[in-house]
Amino acid sequence: MACLITLPIWSDPFIVYLIILSCIATIAALGLNILTGLTGQISLGHAAFFAIGAYCTAIASHRFDMPFWICLPASAFLSAFIGLLLGLPCLRLKGLYLAMATMSFGVVVEYVVITWDKVTYGVRGISVPTLSLFGYPLDSNNKIYYFLLAVVVVMVIGGTNLVRTRVGRAFVAIRDKDVAAEAIGIELTKYKVMAFTISSLYAGLAGGLYAYVMNYIHPEHFTFLLSIQYLAMIIVGGLGTILGSIIGAVFIVITPEIIKSLTQVLALLIPGMANKYNEEWNVAAFGLLIILFLMFEPKGLFGIWSRIKMCFKNWPFTY
Amino acid sequence: MKLRKILLTVLLFLLTFILAVPCFADRGVTKDTIKIGIINQKTGPASALGLPHSYGTIDYFEYVNEQGGIHGRKIVVIFEDDQFEAPKSVALFNKLIHRDEVLTITNCGGTNQTIANMENIKKYKTPNIPNTTAREFWEPYNPYLYSMGCSYEGQYQCMVDYIFNDLKAEKPRIGVVYAKKEYGKIGLEATRERAKAYGVDLISELVLPTGAVDASSQILTLQQNNVDYVITCDILPPIVTFLKTAEKYNYNPKAIFGFNWAADPSIVQACGNAAKNFIGVNYVGSWTDNAPGINLMRDLAKKYGRDLKLTSLYLNGAGAGMIFVEALKRTGKNLNSDTLKEAFETLRNFETGGVFPPVTYTSKSHAPPEMVKLFKADVPNKTLVPVTDWRKPREMKK
Repeated sequence: MACLITLPIWSDPFIVYLIILSCIATIAALGLNILTGLTGQISLGHAAFFAIGAYCTAIASHRFDMPFWICLPASAFLSAFIGLLLGLPCLRLKGLYLAMATMSFGVVVEYVVITWDKVTYGVRGISVPTLSLFGYPLDSNNKIYYFLLAVVVVMVIGGTNLVRTRVGRAFVAIRDKDVAAEAIGIELTKYKVMAFTISSLYAGLAGGLYAYVMNYIHPEHFTFLLSIQYLAMIIVGGLGTILGSIIGAVFIVITPEIIKSLTQVLALLIPGMANKYNEEWNVAAFGLLIILFLMFEPKGLFGIWSRIKMCFKNWPFTY
Repeated sequence: MKLRKILLTVLLFLLTFILAVPCFADRGVTKDTIKIGIINQKTGPASALGLPHSYGTIDYFEYVNEQGGIHGRKIVVIFEDDQFEAPKSVALFNKLIHRDEVLTITNCGGTNQTIANMENIKKYKTPNIPNTTAREFWEPYNPYLYSMGCSYEGQYQCMVDYIFNDLKAEKPRIGVVYAKKEYGKIGLEATRERAKAYGVDLISELVLPTGAVDASSQILTLQQNNVDYVITCDILPPIVTFLKTAEKYNYNPKAIFGFNWAADPSIVQACGNAAKNFIGVNYVGSWTDNAPGINLMRDLAKKYGRDLKLTSLYLNGAGAGMIFVEALKRTGKNLNSDTLKEAFETLRNFETGGVFPPVTYTSKSHAPPEMVKLFKADVPNKTLVPVTDWRKPREMKK
């Protein structure tokens, strides 16, 4: 925690910017992990809720000059409400069918955002004013970083407590065996819809924060690939774990920089590797990471971290 | 103990805010080098445009380096790939400024990318010639954006002016085929307004997606509606599809217009006879022109082994490079973001040897020259030939 608090002092401003993006990704990934990891409801439309949140903040702040303390909660609750509306018809769907339904929802949202240009400005995009904290403008990356850090801490604490409560245990029961969960008295309808709602709330809030950080949003920011990216975060990080969402989000955000750095290191050893870095390697990297983690480390980076922790705890004994 | 922890945390917070002041002092400039960044498309669907544009700028900088550089300083270029995605462009902008510490970034990748980086451009004072011509870059005045060429609105106005004044069409049936992108929507609205100013309504308004592999439904609709002048608002690849599909259905309107991102000789090379009625509008001179700037860039392309598919984009990038070099020369030895900005604003009718129309920037206006040439397809020679000189949109009576 001390490292995070003092990050802007000792690190590169570019690293601060990457951590800002990681904070936003963490909140969105947490939401998806609650739905997919905890409750077992696969969603390929997470980017759509992220987009709803972003556009809500953008429209409220750009067109109506609303302050952040109205825009951000409005984004979160609007996404949550739409998540609730989506959750109801998706109750009977499972697996592939649920994935298709959520993916279709993503396509619909993308279409609406492009076509309803009187409200969303369509393909021109919307500029978002600088985030202002009760008159104090957060006009530098360092200031935005601290604000985001505070929001992430609150959302992580919320997520952690949710997992420990009756609601969290109900989610896990539904994931493990929904028939058995219903048999012991867990209302599937109520908890599945709740999972969709909470997940969308997280995504909407992340979208609102994204709009403030980028100062400009466009329909092309919220494609299907973004949903895949969030899925990669929770698979690589660890399905069903809060710490896994954080680790996965940071890892996926910094993966392109890791690949770039590796290329530069390889360039010292292999002549001709210099300037060979290709952005499309990132897309391949995400796919490869998902496959490798699903095959060899289903618990993700959280599983690796748990084993390392256990090893140090038990050392010199193995168990 | 607890109190000490709290006091230490508060002290750390205060220190951080005090130190959180960005530093701009003489970024990117040393005794021997000037570091400049380029954000454009190296990969992805738009790389067909991004790569030649960037090569044009890079090759001109390399040529200047070979001549001895600028006041003894060589230009070092860092070229990053945004894959035509605004979030990537913003991340790369941050990387170029904070990690690579470049003096400036010549362009940010496209319309959306430049809009996404507008706050960054102002904050970090990076004079920038966007590789795009959206009106919002110079209206209202933006101190660090220097627009080049002609706005999309101006290009479409020139097309409609050409139909009425040069082709002398009476009651032309005009149809628009556009992409659901920024430039497509602007083109549609500009054409609609201009046609209305001449007392004519558009007959058809059809969407042609950027990745379209077939345009049958659009062609059949235009044929059905007897459209005789088609104005397209899409980049080169879908227009190639459109022209080839038109030939397949034997649809021969009197003219098919394309804006600057489609007006390239490669369209004639790709379509052959299908492009016989194509008229392109561009603010860049023709690759085959005998003008000093264009002759130089043809030689440089050969020298550096550039396999160019879109020569107009190469010239576009080269022209931007020429303007940057001239501004860098005018700053003298004392080079930083502020002196570079001031140097740009001393350009008056600056000639780029036929690549662009003459360039003027002042401390109150960084608007583009708003001039274009119209080019017709020369199918036997597989090129576009100019049919007009530099011209502006006509002043219309309100």
